[in-house]
Amino acid sequence: MTHLRLHAAFPLQLLVLASAALILLPLGYVTALALSADLAVWQRLWATRIPELLTNTVALAGTVALLTLLLGVSTAWVVTRFDFHGRRLWEVALVLPLAMPTYVLAYVYNYLLGFGGPVEHLWQTVAGPQARIFSPQSFWGATLVMALDTFPFVYLLTRSALLSLNVSFEEVARTCGASHVRTMLRVTLPLLRPSIVAGTALVVLYVVSDFGAVSLLRYQTLTYAVFQQMTGRSDNTAASILSILLVVLALLFLLAERWFRRKSRFYQTTGRYRAPQRAKCGWSKTAAFTVFLAAILGAAFGIPFYLLVQWSLSPEAQAILDTRFVGFVWNSALLSGLAATAGVLIGLPLAYLASRKPTWLNLGCLQAAYAGYVLPGPVAALAVLVLCLKLTPFFYGTAIVLVVAYVLHFLPAGLQSLEPALQQVTPNLEEAARTLGLGVQATWRRVTLPLIRNGFIAAWVLMFLQTMKELPATLLLRPVGFDTLAIRVWLEASEEYYQLAAPSALLIVLVGLPALALLLSRDWRAA
Amino acid sequence: MWNFAQRRLSSPQAFRPRFALIAVAFCGLFLSAWPNGSTPVWAEEKLTVYSGRAERLIKPVLDSFTAKTGIRIDLLSSGTTELVNRLKVEGDRSPADLFITNDAGSLEMARTAGLLRPLSMREVDRAIPPQFRAADNSWIGLSGRFWIIVYNTTLVKPDQVKSLLDLANTEWKDKIAIPNSGSEYLQAGVSVIRASVGDERTKSFLQGLRDNAGNQVYQKSSQIVEAVAKGQVAIGIVNHYYVYRHLAAQPTAPLAVLMPDQHEGGMGAIMNVAGVGILKHTPRLDSAKLLVEFLVAQAGQKMFADLDKEYPLHTEVKADPALVERKSFRAAMVPLTKLAELREPTMLLIEQVGLR
Repeated sequence: MTHLRLHAAFPLQLLVLASAALILLPLGYVTALALSADLAVWQRLWATRIPELLTNTVALAGTVALLTLLLGVSTAWVVTRFDFHGRRLWEVALVLPLAMPTYVLAYVYNYLLGFGGPVEHLWQTVAGPQARIFSPQSFWGATLVMALDTFPFVYLLTRSALLSLNVSFEEVARTCGASHVRTMLRVTLPLLRPSIVAGTALVVLYVVSDFGAVSLLRYQTLTYAVFQQMTGRSDNTAASILSILLVVLALLFLLAERWFRRKSRFYQTTGRYRAPQRAKCGWSKTAAFTVFLAAILGAAFGIPFYLLVQWSLSPEAQAILDTRFVGFVWNSALLSGLAATAGVLIGLPLAYLASRKPTWLNLGCLQAAYAGYVLPGPVAALAVLVLCLKLTPFFYGTAIVLVVAYVLHFLPAGLQSLEPALQQVTPNLEEAARTLGLGVQATWRRVTLPLIRNGFIAAWVLMFLQTMKELPATLLLRPVGFDTLAIRVWLEASEEYYQLAAPSALLIVLVGLPALALLLSRDWRAA
Repeated sequence: MWNFAQRRLSSPQAFRPRFALIAVAFCGLFLSAWPNGSTPVWAEEKLTVYSGRAERLIKPVLDSFTAKTGIRIDLLSSGTTELVNRLKVEGDRSPADLFITNDAGSLEMARTAGLLRPLSMREVDRAIPPQFRAADNSWIGLSGRFWIIVYNTTLVKPDQVKSLLDLANTEWKDKIAIPNSGSEYLQAGVSVIRASVGDERTKSFLQGLRDNAGNQVYQKSSQIVEAVAKGQVAIGIVNHYYVYRHLAAQPTAPLAVLMPDQHEGGMGAIMNVAGVGILKHTPRLDSAKLLVEFLVAQAGQKMFADLDKEYPLHTEVKADPALVERKSFRAAMVPLTKLAELREPTMLLIEQVGLR
């Protein structure tokens, strides 16, 4: 089999190597820039900014992780263990916050919780005219917004783990005399640990690399500082130093997560599996659950969405819906389409070779492609920027640089759909096609590609969606006249023109909804 | 697994043409996204402007230029420093024809980097006094702005503050809002303070400012004015026109402007100008000159005065009557062209102090 494919594999191999180089080179160059920086710059940053930025970033990530754990696990528990009126609806609705970019939620909360905002007015009618609530532009504000936006990650993974959990374990514990609470603490939750950790890991990486929310809420994290250094200074040395710290932080965390998951791995040991039963609920429990879920979902999606619609219908917002606005929509669609297409075309050979010829070289290239995980938007932008300046300065300021940054940043998201899709196609099928007389290319076209089509489309949609929402790299690298919807939201929202930001924000959310549905339908277990 | 495969295999043809179509469509898109900075077709009817000023402050002026001359303008609004960096990198390949900024220091830096083109235009010489231009006219000031203290009239009495330096006193702890350290006018302001009172004094001032502002460090000046108007903080440091623009929209807001450092021996109010320069390589020099001419002429200057509430630099154009009369206060005696050379040590000081 191998010698048949060898001549076809060689150009593919080159392509894969080139892709890996495209991804690793910028990162390597930023590292080199940071390490070759004057010691005095390092010392100055250590003495002034770094301690604050590191504690801020870690504290935010930690608190958001705890809060999402609480929200995600409790909501998943309610919808999988109880049967009440409207459960199926809630089960689906709880993922809706994923369609809302963090900067949109942040800007809505800037208004809601802001000084003299509606929540404060409400509070003042209760607690007296001088009463103040906490400012959204603070640690707690950033924590709240990020947690509301990201808890569906934990919810989704915990939910599917709970649905596939063998209920026999719990029954054994109950028979042995353990109480409900004790069973939950000692048996169920430990069994869920791998899924919960995976979900929380997603949350932490998301928080660490977020730019939109922290910039609008003026909370200083490493990612935000990298952006500020890039836009406020005439050389990129300090930005590259902070970037490297950020990458190291994310890597450390990723390694810790892997290690932790390896330590706690559980297996289904017997053939006997019984799905859990849902407890029927009376009206009081139903009411309690409905209020609980409605409060969470209202805060994370319902109220913000309602405000966006209301603002979009205001005369100020209607006035900006002109040809210029159409241009922003087109720019967004164009850039996202280009990035998604390029990403899929680069990702496919990487994933294909790694699954068909898993040599250390090919696996290494695939791992390299996952580097985007630990490259927040501003860092990806910085990496592509400095390398572009060094090697191909004539591309600077064109859409190409921006697309490269997107691909670098979002390739992991695409690969996560492409990889399993390819692994599910057994090589036997391709071999059968070859023995029946199809050429290498025909086999690809008529057997492999149609088989992986779903994964292919999912990868494209995911990358399209992520690019559409992307903010910092677009801000830093956009060509002249290439404002996107995300940029308009950020520009207007950062000057607190809530109404003017709303139409763009609403459109981003609306485009996200069908994409979310598509992604869910892939591995949604309606139980 | 096998069933799945068979089902898919039965319709492989359906995939191919669609895929090809999509691929072709995106090749088309890709080409249309290719840089078109030097396309000759519109050579005379289009100008590309990089602007470090907020879009809502400069776009109306450029739009009225387009209405008058028919010359279309592509505008890239971004941070001033970011744009200087960008212009340096793009060099001769830059699509930009003109560069508009909110800070004379940045223009002077662009000039010393050899990005700008010296001009001799009678209209400019006549309209703009020489202290607001580069010596060789490679950049030209368009409108003046002062770094002032804005206060909430319900929280502060006007005699409580005389100088910017007072804001470092502990009595203002948690009561002031300041711009972030990336803002060019903060950098220019600190440069002027250094030149006036020396590095040591400036350093302790910045430390006090940092401690008093705490979390109240803003990216945009309009947010500072907003925070003062709402009473979230008592005092803010901003460019004057943000206050008057806010008052024009909301006349009842409890805001007032205080011209700082006017007392005996004080350094005077800190002035900066927004300005424009024509890039050296531009092939559209005539159109670019037309735009400069429009901006320095009375009509253009009046827009800066009326729309933006800045002090027009044209000697015969009056500022908005709501503003503090220009002749009633004095400005700090630091030449605008010096802002560029002062900037690097200023940045160092700002970083040492650890301003956000």
